[in-house]
Amino acid sequence: MRTSKTGPTRRRLLIAAASAPALAGCDAEPSPPPPPDPLQPLLDEALALAAAYDRAIAADPGAGARLAPLAADHRAHAAELTKVINPAANPSSARSAAPAAPASLREAEQSAQRTAVAACMAAPADRAALVGSIAAGRATHAEALR
Amino acid sequence: MNEQLAAALAAEEAAIYAYGIIGVKAGQETEARSAEQAHRQRRDYLVTKMERAQVSPAGYEMPFPVTGRAAALKLAVQVEDGVAQAWRPVLAVTTGAERANALAAMTDAAVRATRWRRLAGMSPVTMAFPGRAK
Repeated sequence: MRTSKTGPTRRRLLIAAASAPALAGCDAEPSPPPPPDPLQPLLDEALALAAAYDRAIAADPGAGARLAPLAADHRAHAAELTKVINPAANPSSARSAAPAAPASLREAEQSAQRTAVAACMAAPADRAALVGSIAAGRATHAEALR
Repeated sequence: MNEQLAAALAAEEAAIYAYGIIGVKAGQETEARSAEQAHRQRRDYLVTKMERAQVSPAGYEMPFPVTGRAAALKLAVQVEDGVAQAWRPVLAVTTGAERANALAAMTDAAVRATRWRRLAGMSPVTMAFPGRAK
């Protein structure tokens, strides 16, 4: 009877003792920035790809009819991703990694498709369809550039 | 999940049926045969995943008369867009290998739709969000 009564109290004390240093640590140090949204790399890639198409069209205006719709697709992806990305998440840490210049737009699309496939696999149910469509869209771009 | 899989199965069955006509009318028999084979494999996969076997509908109606090459190519685009649209809702109700398979099915359909659009001389050959209803 006695032990069962004092048991929970002791446990509560132990928990309080264990968590106290952690709380103190939180107060002492500046809080870390929130992690970037998992879809932030996808958004960065969409904008980088749209810009890459713009540069290709500027260098070769004749390719505009073929490439402009692909740039527009990426901007549509960026607009949708901006809507779902948590505004509290930190965008800067993901952007610091500048994408390496790809050998070709097609390679860039293939690489971006792999990013999107991985993001789709890791996405919660409510984001899976959007991210899946972006992955499929990037695959169709690689096909369009063949 | 069965509801989404049943819709994907219906789209795959419709695609298999349509490609029998597309192959002859579009003058793209090799391409059509390989597409039909891909849809048969997706259909077989879905049948193994379904909780109970579905009875295939007795017949299909083409959305428009397939009288020549242009109509056949248009039908091929429509069929692949429809397959991509049917697989997209499967993504939200699956994880792991099943989601990977649904994404591959949707992506393959979208890529074939792009190929058919190019063959048909359509522009643009892509859409921003394959699988999303227009």
